[in-house]
Amino acid sequence: MKRILLALLVVASSGIAVLMVSCGRQQTATSGAKELEVACFKGGYGIDFFEQAAREYEQQHPGVKIKVWGNPRVWEQLRPRFVAGNPPDLTYPGWGMDHWALVYEGQVIPLDEYLDSPPHGKTEGTWRETFEPSLLELCQYQGKTYMLPYFFSMLGWWYNKDMFEKNGWKPPRTWSELLALCEKIKAKGIAPITYQGIYPAYAVSGFLIPWVISAGGIEAFDNAQNLVPGAWKSPAFLKAAQMMDELRRRGYFQEGANGMDHTGAQMEFISGRAAMIPCGTWLHSEMRNVLPPNFRMGFMLPPVLDDGNGDPSAVGIGIEPWMVPTKGKNRELAIDFYKYMTSLDKAKQFVEAKGTLMSIRGSDQANFPEHLKEPVEVFRGAKTVWSQEYRQWYQKLGKEVEDATAALLAGNITPEQFVERLERAAEATRNDRNIPKHTYTRGQAR
Amino acid sequence: MTPRGRTGFITLFLLPATALYALFVVIPVVQAFAFSLYRWRGISANRSFIGLENFHHLFNDPLVWRALSHNLLLFIGTSAVILTVSLALAHALGAESALARFLRSVYLFPQVVSLVVVAILWMFILNPSFGILNATLKAVGLERWAIAWLGEKSTALASIGVAHVWHALGFYIMLFAAALRTIPPDVMEAATLDGVTGLARVRYVTLPMLWAVLRIALVYMAIGTMNIFSLVFLMTQGGPDRATEVMLTYLYEQAFKHSEFGYATALAVVNFVLVMALSGAILALFRHNPQEGRA
Repeated sequence: MKRILLALLVVASSGIAVLMVSCGRQQTATSGAKELEVACFKGGYGIDFFEQAAREYEQQHPGVKIKVWGNPRVWEQLRPRFVAGNPPDLTYPGWGMDHWALVYEGQVIPLDEYLDSPPHGKTEGTWRETFEPSLLELCQYQGKTYMLPYFFSMLGWWYNKDMFEKNGWKPPRTWSELLALCEKIKAKGIAPITYQGIYPAYAVSGFLIPWVISAGGIEAFDNAQNLVPGAWKSPAFLKAAQMMDELRRRGYFQEGANGMDHTGAQMEFISGRAAMIPCGTWLHSEMRNVLPPNFRMGFMLPPVLDDGNGDPSAVGIGIEPWMVPTKGKNRELAIDFYKYMTSLDKAKQFVEAKGTLMSIRGSDQANFPEHLKEPVEVFRGAKTVWSQEYRQWYQKLGKEVEDATAALLAGNITPEQFVERLERAAEATRNDRNIPKHTYTRGQAR
Repeated sequence: MTPRGRTGFITLFLLPATALYALFVVIPVVQAFAFSLYRWRGISANRSFIGLENFHHLFNDPLVWRALSHNLLLFIGTSAVILTVSLALAHALGAESALARFLRSVYLFPQVVSLVVVAILWMFILNPSFGILNATLKAVGLERWAIAWLGEKSTALASIGVAHVWHALGFYIMLFAAALRTIPPDVMEAATLDGVTGLARVRYVTLPMLWAVLRIALVYMAIGTMNIFSLVFLMTQGGPDRATEVMLTYLYEQAFKHSEFGYATALAVVNFVLVMALSGAILALFRHNPQEGRA
């Protein structure tokens, strides 16, 4: 009995000792240095770059301690932190976060006052003008800027460069060129186009929206995003749906693509069983572990209608924004650290380290990896930039557009039924008083 | 020990477990009932009381009914398959052959594999391009049957059902194998002596004697299919065009994608009630053991 008691005493006292030590540690940490917590989505580009930036910033600012953490489902962990009123100081919550809900709930601060102050390490000029204006526009609501872009992705089609060169094929620029080429590819026993069917978002941004813009001009898409009555069943949407349906009927989509997830379809592309695939500029880094050596992929914009009304140089982009929580404890420090991260030097480093485009002006002077050279050219030549904001603003509408697209590509519904479905979903969103409405006006950020 | 001291002693030992259970199960469930009466984005502490509006919306939401019908289809389909196959296999495993010994050591494998791995495994098997299923079909001349199993509205739900059965089977084989061992050998012997063998013996002796276990197994299957999530979420995302949407994937969508935490909580409450009701119905429906009826 005595021995047992002794053992219990030892266990208990060591437990108390550990507790005391850890409490003590916490105390010294909070009282001494300024501490910054940065929570990041850990996607294809990792968080090592942000960690490295934090170490550099710490060296330049003695007394500052920056804790960068993240994982691939960080948004799920951030929700309870926001609810509890204990969010990090700076966050990049990733694509899974409902960004606008944070804005509606006042959980992130408007950044305009800081955007109008000088950028990192400068005394004149504004931080605002260092960003690509068309990307800053996407971060605004009711005239205020609540988020900030970092890297951005371009949406388009990729083609198998070696396959094209070997067969003397040219990337198609127009619809008629596309149809002619698909026929030739099919004759070779190769699937002309594959797509990530389980995630219809790829088909929406790779087929539907570009062809809506090609058929009806950018206004056709802007009106749809702004929920103008009838916009989702306009002739432009019907035309785009008919084009998708025609590719399906002619058998130009890879058989079974509707049952493939993104990696599955992308494997088909890099293994040469399909010639073209719609995907963003992240494709290369997403597949880098399985890419055959010397595999060359070319980037192109989705082919446009021969007699379309849209700007043929129009390009779709997407951002994954950063934000500063209202209840963060170190607002000024968070902003200054983000200013450091968005300085031109850091932006160029990010381009080179991660192989993606950056929202900072002038960062396109960096050394791009081979697969990004074409996208950069496309972006420089783009007179119109579009982004699927409705997916972020009106999540239910976005989901219905994707479901209807899956049904259209499977041949379950006609193009006419397709646009009716979209319009019904848009109407439901328009009439729902509980959904805050956005209006997108081009050129607002300039 | 006096009776009072005994009660105190028991209470003392029950207290920690009860406290933990209350903290992590009872209180959240009660809280869920409360949250379901609010409009809440689940991203700040702000929420507004809206009474039964979430439930009103829920009963008029065609997608809820569709999701629920998928859960019920999965329950009926998979439990029929699981019951037949696992009973047959449990029976066969009782035999003393090399094959039976081998099977006894492997049947639990799928059960110990994580559901994520199960989903990925089946996605590979069902892959339209390099999947082993379509490769086999093509090899035996059934090209027309080689389709995108997870991409077709008509086959996606059934494909998920197959993966679910594959994963769950081991558990039920174990359950029934254990139950079969509890049947006294003399009963079997007597039946054989009376000329009842083969399927007739299963029908008139084995099944009635397994009644209690069968009942519990059905309740487990109901809970398993009403709460199915990971397989669907990973294999189809509820698609194509909602053909595999189930209650919990719809709930997840409402909560995490649409920031409708109040509505999602109402869905959780309804799902909770439905699972309880279904389990209760199964227990009531199969209350009468035919064996007892005859006695």
